[in-house]
Amino acid sequence: MKIVDVKESGERCAEAGWFAWDILFDGPMEKEFIKKLSVIGGSFVFLEMLRNPFFKLEAEHYIVKGVQGNDFLRAAVHRDYPEELERIKGILENTAEGDKINSYPQ
Amino acid sequence: MIYLNNAATTYPKPQCVQDACNAFFQRIPAGQFRSAADTGTADIFTQCRKKLGTLLGIRETGRIYFTSGSTEALNKILYGLGIPASQMIVTASEHNSVLRPLYNIPSIQGAPAVVPCDRNGKVHPETLERYIAAESRVLVVNHCSNVTGCIQDMREISRIARKHHLLLIVDLSQSAGCIPVDVDGWMADAIAFTGHKSLFGIQGSGGYYVRSGIPFRPMLFGGSGKDSGRLFYDPDDYEYETGTLNGMGVTALDAGAGYLLEKGVAHIQREEQEKMRYLYESLSRMDALTLYGEAEENKGPVLSFNVEGLKAADTAYILQNSYGIISRAGLHCAPLLHACLETGPWGTVRISISDLNTWEELERFVQAVREICQAAG
Repeated sequence: MKIVDVKESGERCAEAGWFAWDILFDGPMEKEFIKKLSVIGGSFVFLEMLRNPFFKLEAEHYIVKGVQGNDFLRAAVHRDYPEELERIKGILENTAEGDKINSYPQ
Repeated sequence: MIYLNNAATTYPKPQCVQDACNAFFQRIPAGQFRSAADTGTADIFTQCRKKLGTLLGIRETGRIYFTSGSTEALNKILYGLGIPASQMIVTASEHNSVLRPLYNIPSIQGAPAVVPCDRNGKVHPETLERYIAAESRVLVVNHCSNVTGCIQDMREISRIARKHHLLLIVDLSQSAGCIPVDVDGWMADAIAFTGHKSLFGIQGSGGYYVRSGIPFRPMLFGGSGKDSGRLFYDPDDYEYETGTLNGMGVTALDAGAGYLLEKGVAHIQREEQEKMRYLYESLSRMDALTLYGEAEENKGPVLSFNVEGLKAADTAYILQNSYGIISRAGLHCAPLLHACLETGPWGTVRISISDLNTWEELERFVQAVREICQAAG
């Protein structure tokens, strides 16, 4: 799986100073991929009970969230930390390509 | 896809609105006052003003002016009165289309007095009276909250405004078309409305009304199609619509107003309130959910909630991407209200229905929220 597009989201992530991008993959996000994202750091929520499970990874300056089975997720960064987007994209790219991830610089 | 974001823009539109928009392209453009030729086209602008006057309870329909929506309308009203913001009273329920002009239009900018609301979004008359000072000259009230659906008691508020000799400006953005409005009965001095919500027009349409006899300066000057040789105006003969009007927008608004007059706003309100009662009752039974408002107090077609353990934006994301239900999350451009609701900084999930939402759609929404609460709780 790989990232095929990154689009600025029309939703300004609840209008509270956060800016969001929708990251599109060339296939659906499976459970294994989602679980690997937890090593990025921050709190990880995975609502597996839902018909279409929802996940969210949240740290002080960024949020990554999506739904299992969809081919896109949303990455939001606080407006004071725009550089976080590139870091998150890099991690997602590596994860999507199946690299084994143990830790990333915070 | 189930669309429950009608407080932003109604969707779908009644068939008659779609037909009117399609027919618009087949006609010679209507230009108010601009052509001596009989194009066979009815004066859609005058016709629409009359329908709006009937819907909103305005006798002086010639003083209904079209704009791109409520934001432009409120900017023009607040600028046009020329009264400093420090001499104005607003409620905590106001939209940014009121608040931002007051804080930013150079000729009037200042800090208005802000009357707090209760946790339903209601402004209590006794609280309002406490905020009226000797220098107060204007009261701005949002008739129906776009966050909680609370409808303010306009008769009582109007009585207080008259008692204290305040000009009364009413923001009808959320109520026009779905809640009975009586501008003349309320003795409102100015009102603003938008076309693309419950009036079933299209985005980029709306307007305002200012009672005759109130000193009011135009924000814009330009071509009006009348008396083109004139360059200067006296204050008592200003013109308030300049440039080419939004013909398509007014055409859609006219059709939407026609739909509402035929169906009856009171009838629409009853149907929507029945649906909202079902939503309140269903959601209030869910343990992991906080509702901001109650069916008896909040009678507009809007409600707000949050699911325990999830930010509003997360719940809205799940609704959209797992269930295909479009809601809205955040502060909803009414930042001061969230201090009263204690929902800052992330706000609430808002759902809002229109006359065209079905019971089945609402049942599917309730089931989706139930599943989200169970998963998150």
